[in-house]
Amino acid sequence: MSLVFDTNMLIYMLEIVVGGLLVSVGVHFVPVGGAPAAMAQATGIGTGTVTLAAGSGLTGLLSAGLMMSVTDNIWPILATGAVGSMIMMDATMLTGDFIYSYAVGCPYASAKVNYDPITMFPQPPYVAPGTVGQGIPTVCFVSGTIGALLGGVGGAMIYYPCLQIGGNPAQAAIFAIGIFFVQAVIPSWNIQGTIEGFHDPKFKKWPLAFKASLVAGILLAIMTVLIQPLGVA
Amino acid sequence: MDAFGMGICAAAGALAFVAGASEDIDSDIGSQSNPNSQVQLAAQVGNPHRIYNKAIAGEPPSNALWCAVACLMAYVLIEGYHMPLLFAAVAGASLAALFDGVMSISAYLGRSASQARFNQWIYLDIIRYTTPSIMAHVWITSFCITLIAIIQVYVLTPHHPFPIPVIGLIWGITVGAIGSSVGDIHYGGEREFQWRLFGQGLNTMLSGQIVRKAEAGLRNSIDNAWFCAKFGGPCTGLGFGLTVFLDNWRTTVFDPVTQATYAIAMGCFFVLAMNLYNLYMEISARKKYGPYPGYKGDIAA
Repeated sequence: MSLVFDTNMLIYMLEIVVGGLLVSVGVHFVPVGGAPAAMAQATGIGTGTVTLAAGSGLTGLLSAGLMMSVTDNIWPILATGAVGSMIMMDATMLTGDFIYSYAVGCPYASAKVNYDPITMFPQPPYVAPGTVGQGIPTVCFVSGTIGALLGGVGGAMIYYPCLQIGGNPAQAAIFAIGIFFVQAVIPSWNIQGTIEGFHDPKFKKWPLAFKASLVAGILLAIMTVLIQPLGVA
Repeated sequence: MDAFGMGICAAAGALAFVAGASEDIDSDIGSQSNPNSQVQLAAQVGNPHRIYNKAIAGEPPSNALWCAVACLMAYVLIEGYHMPLLFAAVAGASLAALFDGVMSISAYLGRSASQARFNQWIYLDIIRYTTPSIMAHVWITSFCITLIAIIQVYVLTPHHPFPIPVIGLIWGITVGAIGSSVGDIHYGGEREFQWRLFGQGLNTMLSGQIVRKAEAGLRNSIDNAWFCAKFGGPCTGLGFGLTVFLDNWRTTVFDPVTQATYAIAMGCFFVLAMNLYNLYMEISARKKYGPYPGYKGDIAA
């Protein structure tokens, strides 16, 4: 298969760049507390940023891959990717909260705001002494769902052009996973370990990651359209 | 939708439950993920211990490796040698367990040896009886995930277009992410620090002061697995089982070709239901536990 550079190729590149940007912005929404959250020492999910973004986004990629094997219409593919990703993220946050409630025995509280912006529940009286919050309160849960939505759509939007160019689902999936990881790692430097979601002051730094991801996305898009056709006999 | 498809979908969910639970217990026995920061710190603040210390990598990449190895071997045996699916999965999982055994031992030796200056010993008996338990749990995890991948590719309709190793890689990352997010809290938030006041997270001042005495004798990692298998493991299994089951269920019940909208709408319904359930739990926990005593701020509870 020879490389033909036409309008379609430009659209594919654009999709890879936009998908990457969605992943990059989506990561900022995911409430990750890192290792401190695993000791109920910080609000959010007790793991790393990339870990969680990749876990949910790639679950969405599996759903999108299945949908794309039966249709070429991009909208159901993007939607099913988003839904698969949101299901994984919500199941994780929900079962994580089971442990905070029933094993550690603490209420959920954010240390970054005085009142939950969605439920308006007061937060500081429920923050355990010597910690910076614990559990996943409603605002973080909703923020995580939005992050998974963006990550799922982004992952599916990266996979779609990869499959269109090469026509090989396995190769396209590996490319999509690689691009996804790059775009999930870039915002992690912005986040510096922990973030609670869109209400966290760190969230305001997203334009920095957006610019870096844009540059990375363009480079990755060029490499993808150049390398992908080589793998097809 | 047919009864066979639904049965297989339920079986995939059940396998995912087992995979999630065993993944978390594996990480607890080996003290692999986030709470291992405290195990690592313990010796440095004067608390040498008998906990296994195998932070090979973050849980998602390491589980992705085990599952991809297992699925790759199964794929070669199925496609190249026409081996029965079940036996291929068994062979694949055995190879993954061997990989894990090698890396666990080298991780334990390396990490403990690097802490010799803090008086941390290498216990050969710990290696001898803990490593097989870790390998056994990795075997269960990678076996279940290989079977899920086989079900998705060869049995469920529509067949998944990805080959088994790619699906194994993705489910490995996902199960590691869930194990790291859910089960770790039970190990790190509760088991490692049982002597502090119940009902709160770890006070920063207590970092590294992990519990070193067990119900009988000195605590080791098998004691931790005994405790975490009661709640942390099943919760992780529930998280991963829900992910696999709900995601497959909606495309099994609704045909993705003709009823894609219903499949997507059903997924959105699940998401909404989980958001509302979390809100209910938050309200319930706030009512039952109440604010922390000694809070001196201006904001009323």
